[in-house]
Amino acid sequence: MSTVSETTPRGRTARRVRIDGWRWGGRAFLVFMLLYTALPMIWMLLTSIKSGFAAMQFPPQWWPDQPTLDSYQKLLDPQNSVGQDFLRFFWNSLIVSTATTILSVIVAVPAAYAFSRFTFPGRNFLFFAVLLRNMFPAVIFLVPLFILMRAIGLVNTHGSLVLTYLTFGLPLAIWLLKGFYDNIPVQLEQAARIDGATRFQAFVLIVMPLSAPGIIATAIYSFIGAWNEYIYAYTFLSKNEQLTLPVGIQRFFSENTTDFPGLMAASFMMSVPVVVLFLLLQRYFVRALTEGAVKH
Amino acid sequence: MAHVVLKDLVKTYGSFKAVNDVSLTINDGEFVALVGPSGCGKTTTLNLVAGLTSATSGDIFIGERVVNDLDPKDRDIAMVFQNYALYPQKSVYMNLAFPLQMRKLPKDEIDRKVREAARVLDMTQLLERKPRELSGGQQQRVALGRALVRDPAVFLMDEPLSNLDAKLRVQMRSEIKRFHQDLKATIIYVTHDQLEAVTMADRMAVMNGGYLQQYDSPAQVFAHPANMFVASFVGSPAMSLIPLEASTANGGEVLTSAEGWSLALSPRNAQKVARATTRKVVLGARHSTIKLHKSAIAGAIPAKAYTVEPTGDVTFVQAFLSGAIVNISVSPNITVVPDEQIWLEFDQERIHLFDSETQMALEAN
Repeated sequence: MSTVSETTPRGRTARRVRIDGWRWGGRAFLVFMLLYTALPMIWMLLTSIKSGFAAMQFPPQWWPDQPTLDSYQKLLDPQNSVGQDFLRFFWNSLIVSTATTILSVIVAVPAAYAFSRFTFPGRNFLFFAVLLRNMFPAVIFLVPLFILMRAIGLVNTHGSLVLTYLTFGLPLAIWLLKGFYDNIPVQLEQAARIDGATRFQAFVLIVMPLSAPGIIATAIYSFIGAWNEYIYAYTFLSKNEQLTLPVGIQRFFSENTTDFPGLMAASFMMSVPVVVLFLLLQRYFVRALTEGAVKH
Repeated sequence: MAHVVLKDLVKTYGSFKAVNDVSLTINDGEFVALVGPSGCGKTTTLNLVAGLTSATSGDIFIGERVVNDLDPKDRDIAMVFQNYALYPQKSVYMNLAFPLQMRKLPKDEIDRKVREAARVLDMTQLLERKPRELSGGQQQRVALGRALVRDPAVFLMDEPLSNLDAKLRVQMRSEIKRFHQDLKATIIYVTHDQLEAVTMADRMAVMNGGYLQQYDSPAQVFAHPANMFVASFVGSPAMSLIPLEASTANGGEVLTSAEGWSLALSPRNAQKVARATTRKVVLGARHSTIKLHKSAIAGAIPAKAYTVEPTGDVTFVQAFLSGAIVNISVSPNITVVPDEQIWLEFDQERIHLFDSETQMALEAN
């Protein structure tokens, strides 16, 4: 022990000098990334509490002279037309995103389980075919999907969006969850079946609770994807009362000249559900993404 | 408790035969070990009994019932897995209660049985813990508890000790043996460790390549291995197997080595060789049945010591004979050095003779 304590200080200083350069570089990079991601949001928040006039000033007011919550009041007031529209868009987005999330979990969980546990003809082919959609940019499918939706009479319905978002979110959801199921020892299910459970009970009672982090991550991923999507919502929906938030906000504010504080307040409120959801569940999300990276 | 019968059991995966025509009868209350190297089909056989895989052909009886088409849950079995397969999200109490809950027992009866099992296995103070908060030995014990809480017809154990460290393994070995004696339970125990099989089982079924090689008591398997595989698999260090050529000289049978030496056989051994269809015979001898001499005596075969391994109470000497490694155990107060000239004397009563083509043991009559 005595030899260790004698040599440690010297060893430590030598090491510290070597790491410092990298560490400061790393810190600088982190600060840059923080500003890069946070500044637009801070600016969004600041603008949203300015008056319409203050928002247009140049040079800009870095800090609003007279902070006001007028824009928020206007947007959340069901009495005036702006508020009515905003709340309706918000509601539409919530419905579409929630439906997408629920359906994608309902489809992805058994699909991932099947890919993980069963061998069946075409298993590998199907598993990679699931990814096929993700190999092309989303816009490529815009026109074909629009024609398809028109043919089956889904244009101008939320159903068209839910179906489309499902095809976007499912591949990753299935891959993510399969990783989870691969990591749950098959002996757990076997033990449950011997202990008196049916195959389905073994899945529901033993495997499902263990894959909860994966299911939560899948749900967040689907929800965020659907919540933020713009181009398909813009193409498939034309009736004002059906618009989702991204399209709604854009269309709404270009019609009412450009009310920047209102636009920013709406954008801020739009990001609230996603941020809250993510903050609440982010530890599951991280766990899901790193699942299988190391052996437990 | 119940007896178990496997009849002409076959399991194929595509063209690969994992289990080949295995027939076994396990008596009520008997402890049978399925033993063999990895990939020999022992775990597949156990999974067939458990119902975790379905047989390609053949029948499985538990008690008087054919269970081929029954779900695992309906076979009245309990299983202990190599990785214990404890439900990680459940406490020890809930792990033990799960099989009872699945059978819809009343709550107070579940509680009584769980506490009884915990008392027997001396883990009452662990009931509220999660499996990850337990040591390997404790996890193993919970796995055992989950099996015995239900009082099943048959216990299946799949290498339950192989994840434990050496010391704990020896301790748990005697605990499981004791558990078998107390419960008079029918146990099918899979292991790759022949020592576990020999020490614990009433009878051991040695498997290799999907085939059942020999099924008998450990003493019988040790004393009369049916073929060269069993001879080399059971016992440690392994039985030495020396390839030789049989010939007739002076009215008796003699085994000759390509190295020039020969070994005259006793009348009984000569009879065995005479009945063989081949002249190529393999001589088998366990380390303890070979005598090592430091000077030439009549009937002893000259060899050179290759390595010397003292273990404390016995020293193992290895030598080459006819290209095969021969293990000899000697008393530690005999000093042998590598490359020293030694003479080996075989005990005619205790050597084994095998047909080198069929690999089967040669029989006298």
